[in-house]
Amino acid sequence: MGELQSTRQDYDRFKAAVAKGDLSQAQRLLSQLKLKLIQLTTASYESASQTQAARALFRDVLEQAIFLSVKSKDEEAFQRNYVQLQEHYLDTRSVLPASPLQDLVLGLNLLRLLVQNSIAEFHTELELLSPKMQRSPYVAQATQLEQWLMEGAFNKVLDAGKAAPDPAYAYFLDKLQTTIRDEIASCSEQAYPHLSVKDATNLMMFNSEADLAAYAQQRAWSIDNGQLVFQVHEEDKISEVPAVQLIQHAMTYARELERIV
Amino acid sequence: MGKEVAMEVDAPTQNGNAAKEEPAGPAPVSVEAQLESCLKLLDRAVRAKDTRLIAGRLLRQIATLRSNLTAEVLFAFIEQTLPQSFSARETLLNVLHQAAQVTTLKKHAQLDEDTPTSVLPEVELVAYLLVVTFLIDQKQFPKAKELSTQAVARLGEFNRRTLDGLGSRIYFYYSWAHEQTDTLADIRGKLLALHRTAVLRHDELGQEMLINLLLRNYLHYNLYDQAEKLRAKAQRPENPRSSQQLCRYLFYLARIQAIQLDYTGAKDNLQQAARKAPVIAVGFRTTVAKWLVLVRLLLGEIPERIDLTQPGLSAALHPYFCLTLAVRSGDLSAFRAVAQQHEAVWAKDRVANLVVRLRHNVIRAGLRRINLAYWRISLADIASKLGLSSVEDTECIVAKAIRDGGIDAEIDHEKGWVTSRATPDVYTTAEPQADFHERIAFCLDLHNEAVKAMRFEPNSQQKAPLENADTARERVKLEEEAAKAAAEDDADF
Repeated sequence: MGELQSTRQDYDRFKAAVAKGDLSQAQRLLSQLKLKLIQLTTASYESASQTQAARALFRDVLEQAIFLSVKSKDEEAFQRNYVQLQEHYLDTRSVLPASPLQDLVLGLNLLRLLVQNSIAEFHTELELLSPKMQRSPYVAQATQLEQWLMEGAFNKVLDAGKAAPDPAYAYFLDKLQTTIRDEIASCSEQAYPHLSVKDATNLMMFNSEADLAAYAQQRAWSIDNGQLVFQVHEEDKISEVPAVQLIQHAMTYARELERIV
Repeated sequence: MGKEVAMEVDAPTQNGNAAKEEPAGPAPVSVEAQLESCLKLLDRAVRAKDTRLIAGRLLRQIATLRSNLTAEVLFAFIEQTLPQSFSARETLLNVLHQAAQVTTLKKHAQLDEDTPTSVLPEVELVAYLLVVTFLIDQKQFPKAKELSTQAVARLGEFNRRTLDGLGSRIYFYYSWAHEQTDTLADIRGKLLALHRTAVLRHDELGQEMLINLLLRNYLHYNLYDQAEKLRAKAQRPENPRSSQQLCRYLFYLARIQAIQLDYTGAKDNLQQAARKAPVIAVGFRTTVAKWLVLVRLLLGEIPERIDLTQPGLSAALHPYFCLTLAVRSGDLSAFRAVAQQHEAVWAKDRVANLVVRLRHNVIRAGLRRINLAYWRISLADIASKLGLSSVEDTECIVAKAIRDGGIDAEIDHEKGWVTSRATPDVYTTAEPQADFHERIAFCLDLHNEAVKAMRFEPNSQQKAPLENADTARERVKLEEEAAKAAAEDDADF
């Protein structure tokens, strides 16, 4: 029991370090804590309540570890911690009461998948959540963002950045903004023959026209007389017969027919 | 889901077959006599090491018996066949005793002298299987769970290929009883261990069954990630031994693919599963049809009306039919209404998230219609037609649709309108050719699959020259049976 008590004190110090933003200190405490907790959770106790307490503590530590990884902008660490944490969420659902931070962490993870453009994983994770969890504001925002992204309602996504349900979201929402700007840019190239510089600045959420000019250079757009002219990537309409492909097809048919007859 | 209904269907059809099989008999054969003939068949098969006979005919006969079984008959059967020294005998009799809740069972107790002293393990497991199915038919799932666990443990003590067929059946009821008592998660480890053993012993029937049970187990808890990892890594027998198991496998695979946004793959697998599923398995076919409708909608295709109004399925498919109509018309408010109205159905079929994803397709369909109908239209009009909230959104959505190739148009931002580009004549492009190719490839694939699905007796060529009149007659008889079995195989689903 004494062991558990001292670990809890360590946890409190760790949590304080995360909250203060003392990243290096927190990082050091975290690796110590994890080692201790692995021992604690696998040790055998007389009473079930002690095992539970150890598990709950481990879960709390991992949750804080996730916030730490968000603060230190380390997505890989986030993923690692999340995988470890998921086990605590899923498999001890019946033993432990749900953590108050659970929905927030789930939402963060969904957002991370969105930013990394792993839509398949996003949906796989989503299936794991019960309808009640899906209605929680943290998770609901992530699912809403995904829908808007698929639809193309980019400006809504950008607006959402201003209404983050938790400060921890800010990092991912910021990253999402960059992704979306690229999306808008590639859509605009195809959809508009030309666009005034002012409108384009608005559309792509740049702060000034100078920013846009720099970005335009990057994508090889030209600015002409206050008008943004897109290099039309008109892919050459197929005017010639795709001979090689046709021959290949014909050969396949011949081979298959031969086999049938 | 599919299995559940298919199982309900199981019993009556088996009866139908029984009636067909025995019309020439002098009198209706009693259950006892049928059990007797089962045992004889089993004995013959084990001695000839004929695994196909067990996997096919024997299991079918047992299934035929299923609806006629009573506690009394089973009680007598076990008393007569299992030696007294077997612990299984006592357990099974006790279970039956409790299950039947009648005291009349005791009167057979004096028949002991002619019981055998040893018995084939196959017979013992047949006894287990019969009692487990009996309990499941009586809806006594907790008891069935307990007993099937014992049966699986007993099965693990042997390593005989002649047990494979019986074993896979027992595994199925083992999992089924656990599913009914909502304890599927508890047996996952056991199933994995069993699967490993089955692979090591080249028990193909067991492998097929167990991998499906595991996938079902994972999907029951929506663990798509784990299911996919298992599916991708687990070894599968090269030639599927049972078409029913293959159907199920394809269906589970398609579900995983649909969740992970691989709609094309999901569609292929669902279509194959639907084609291979026997007509009689209405429950399975309905479930497959539901998923197929959703996946096709998500791909941007509109399912044929005839697929949605198939006789026997149309009632269950009605919500999906409404959904298709809404998506086809591209009317967001209609779609919202349908999605809300049938919310309970989506939740029950566990497709709620897929339906949510469809919203995007509704918008696309609507845009495409507008794009075809108008040469030039203002963004505000599009917004009101599609029921979108603001013009800015609409502009972005249209822009994305243009980029993704959904519509062919350009936007004039200053004037706030969308102009359709002239649609080129489709026959000047390679599109018809590509379409045609796709159809040909489909037909060729179908043919190859059909060829692969044919089964041949192993070593049939080597045996042929040696046969004399007797064996020839025997062979003809066997072949007739095999043909009949193949015809009925599907009904077994």
